[in-house]
Amino acid sequence: MNRLSVVIAVAIAGAAAGSAAAHHSFAVFFDANKVISVTGAVTDFRFVNPHGEIGLTVQGKGGQTEQWRVETNSPSILQRRGWRRDSLKPGDTVTVEGWPSRDGKRYLRLLKATRGDGTVIGIPFDQAQQQ
Amino acid sequence: MTVRLLLAALALSASLTPAHGQPARPAAKTAPAAARPDLSGFWMLMRQQKPVDPGLVAKLPPNTALLDDSGAVEFVAGAFGGLKLKPAAREAAARWKAEDEMTVSRACARPSIVYATQGPFPFEILQGTEFIIFRYEYFDLVRVIFMDGRSHPGADAPHSKTGHSIGHWEGDELVVDTTHLEHATITNNGLDHSDNIHVVERFKRSPDGKTLMSTMWFEDPEVLDNNGARYIQWRSEPGQIYPYDCDPAFGANYTNAEKK
Repeated sequence: MNRLSVVIAVAIAGAAAGSAAAHHSFAVFFDANKVISVTGAVTDFRFVNPHGEIGLTVQGKGGQTEQWRVETNSPSILQRRGWRRDSLKPGDTVTVEGWPSRDGKRYLRLLKATRGDGTVIGIPFDQAQQQ
Repeated sequence: MTVRLLLAALALSASLTPAHGQPARPAAKTAPAAARPDLSGFWMLMRQQKPVDPGLVAKLPPNTALLDDSGAVEFVAGAFGGLKLKPAAREAAARWKAEDEMTVSRACARPSIVYATQGPFPFEILQGTEFIIFRYEYFDLVRVIFMDGRSHPGADAPHSKTGHSIGHWEGDELVVDTTHLEHATITNNGLDHSDNIHVVERFKRSPDGKTLMSTMWFEDPEVLDNNGARYIQWRSEPGQIYPYDCDPAFGANYTNAEKK
């Protein structure tokens, strides 16, 4: 079982954070001034538009189980950054860093994903040359 | 219209001539064939949208707000980059909620070219003499730019997210005039254009040929007291357009996401 890791990691303001245009407004929907980190077990990975999605089961600080959803860029953009439709499988342990939604849900926009062995998946958003 | 049909039409366009006895179409306002620039290719939106090409920006009409949200940048709620909204548009924008877009019915709602063109996706230009095709990755949008001198259809003709586009060459610039656009977002934060928006785009290659530079200007007196424009640029690189094929289940997954 994965241990909870919901950590408010870094407060990032500026261009790198506030820049992830998609079909719904990143700037309106997510808090670009905060990045949080969540570690959990993958429940599903959907490599479809308008956004890819990662489902995570996370063990909360009090021992409770939490279900998180992580929204990614479009799969076509991820593909160009080295992601593949089988980059994640159910049961994989992954740590995701991302911007939290403003609505109070357990919902993030992906900045970076790291496997349990420390391998970063694809090229993280803030290192990508393209969108 | 499918991409396959469009490609067939494009292949024909290079050699298309009026049939004997048929009335010739009006002469297209084009430069001589030998002088036409070739804008064909795969174009990836550039992360950096500055500096802008001063020549293109100088051609924007007066009373135009140049929106600074091309590419990765987006406006927050209530910010419209200098656009002056009519009262009804401002009230509608104030009522708009980002969560409302995250539903099964809205998750795959296509934007029009007004917002989609500056989105973070590549597009492909297939250039013929009488037609130019813009094939966007974002929402699989496909436009046909008619270069054969025809006019826009009547006001009652169907509207769509890609509209009706006619083009001509002015020196090394492709100028595209678009009407018949179905209402859709302008800034992705609650401001929608009407069905009567009028769009004029200019496209040209940079001197080194590696960048496609453009302006997209629009007027929509039903919604705006001034006009708007974006400067948008892409770089040439190898690549291909991937299918978008939007899946609205995304909206359901968001709706069902846990509250903290």
